[in-house]
Amino acid sequence: MMILKMKKEDLPAFLESAKEWGELWGPTTKDGKTSYAKVDSLSQMDLKATRTVIPPKKFLYPPRFTMFDFDEEGFVERTGDVPKRILFGLHPCDVHGILIMDKLFLETYKDPYYAERREKTLLLGHSCIPDDKCMCFATNTDFVAEGFDLFFTDLKMFYLVWVGSSKGHDLVRMRADLFSRNLDKNDILNYTEYRKWKTAQFKAKIDLTGMPDIFELGYNSPIWDELGEKCLSCGQCSMVCPTCNCYNVVDEVDLGTAEGTRDRFWDSCMFREYSVVAGGHNFRDKRADRLRLWYTHKLQAFIGEFGKPACVGCGRCVATCPVDINVATVSTALKEQEVGK
Amino acid sequence: MTRPSPKIGVYGFTGCAGDQLMILNCEDQLVDLFGATEIRSFVMAKSDNHEAELDVALVEGSISTEAQLKHLKDIRERSKVLIAIGTCACWGGPQAMKLGDGKFEERYKKVYGNAKITVSKAIEGQPLDAFVKVDMKIPGCPIDKQEFLKSVSKLVAGKHPYLLKSPVCLECKWKENKCLLLDGKFCAGPLTKGGCGAVCPSHNLPCVGCWGPTDDLNVSAEYDLLKEKGFVPEEIITKIRKFGGSGVMELVKNLEKKEAKK
Repeated sequence: MMILKMKKEDLPAFLESAKEWGELWGPTTKDGKTSYAKVDSLSQMDLKATRTVIPPKKFLYPPRFTMFDFDEEGFVERTGDVPKRILFGLHPCDVHGILIMDKLFLETYKDPYYAERREKTLLLGHSCIPDDKCMCFATNTDFVAEGFDLFFTDLKMFYLVWVGSSKGHDLVRMRADLFSRNLDKNDILNYTEYRKWKTAQFKAKIDLTGMPDIFELGYNSPIWDELGEKCLSCGQCSMVCPTCNCYNVVDEVDLGTAEGTRDRFWDSCMFREYSVVAGGHNFRDKRADRLRLWYTHKLQAFIGEFGKPACVGCGRCVATCPVDINVATVSTALKEQEVGK
Repeated sequence: MTRPSPKIGVYGFTGCAGDQLMILNCEDQLVDLFGATEIRSFVMAKSDNHEAELDVALVEGSISTEAQLKHLKDIRERSKVLIAIGTCACWGGPQAMKLGDGKFEERYKKVYGNAKITVSKAIEGQPLDAFVKVDMKIPGCPIDKQEFLKSVSKLVAGKHPYLLKSPVCLECKWKENKCLLLDGKFCAGPLTKGGCGAVCPSHNLPCVGCWGPTDDLNVSAEYDLLKEKGFVPEEIITKIRKFGGSGVMELVKNLEKKEAKK
């Protein structure tokens, strides 16, 4: 890890040179919604937006994609055609989300499709402006120390730039003239001030300590039935969650041939079909059971397995669920044994 | 691969014929479709139709006369697989929106009075599975070309077709649309089977539910939410029933009972 300093006005020039490595993507806002889009320059990006509708997982693991083409002889992988991309403007929670995806897709069973996209995607983080839906302070994901290639912390006049990988360092070296290693006392004071400022921005009232115990105690709580009655089973929570990673696999065949493709697309355990097994039995036929699985997985089971929750506090479930079922309301309801209005 | 071409029949009952039209509108694939199958009967598309044994019958429309019912039973008897295409065939369509209210005779009289009907005795419009076994439903108003072609391609290859069971919201979110329910719009997305590519919400138009009910719709939660957003109960129920037909009939009855108790 190395921390450099860059004048803010030099960012456009840096990104211009970085484009030699690959396509530049960043958060853009159109008609009131923010999403990652391919851009030509910094001026098209919206760095003030707190969150995109869909987290950057879509680049590493697209909503729907073809894994391979097959015919009667065998199959040919559809790898190799992924473009090299630079994602600029990822917030600490987004990077934490990708670190969780890495655990799932690169460790025990390495997923070749994810691995290729991860390899060809540079993650350039950027500090954020928390809003009332941000909960990263409660999930210990408000700052990030790994997972990115570069991370830019906005300190008004200049950026402090964390170099997190050799690829990130390569980008820096393309315009070494824009970066300085001379950091002094004022930089430390400014950074300390910035951390204080950021910590003071959080307005959400949420405390996730002790959640594994609360979930264990509340496993048979009638709260789940109450929440199940409210839940629309629309699955939006899974689509927008940076750590939801379940998928469905379906073959498509070309008309009149034995040739076709095997496709993979995002699925959600909130859907009834998700837990149907051969023979038609459904282990989680009740909506309440599915809801309990989702939240137990995020805030209890994942902690047991990986030592941290599978919630990065991004607030997307808070911003998305039409009936206010989210990490904040569910954990509070379970603790207080009452579903809030 | 030499697999005998499946013998197919395409039929239409009460509906707008839009699903059959959508098949004909698969222009780029039409030659392949007619090449890979033996279309024995498709009255809307060709002459020289043979009403004989079929591997697959594709049937559009709801059943609303006794003559149609007789014809449907005949198709069922000579078909190995019967597929309902379009929301009318699957769930009854808008003509089944009052299904189960017991007032069909009354409505019939209001429209036709004592006029002498010479065609065939009318019955209340109902989906195909109210009368015969339906092996698969491909809903839509009209059906989606891609979903239809993917299903037929798999049938021709001897595989089981897969249709999305999840609600419209799945693909809507893939397109990063803002949820219209959050904006206080009447969006039936969570109640409606997806596969349409969330085409309406992607143009900022709320889903009207034209593909019929999804696998596990929570009518009661959607009702409560819409009421909270200021919609009146009658409007909510009418809109839920518009395309829901037999698929929402019981759910709406339960909801009305629950509301009456309040």
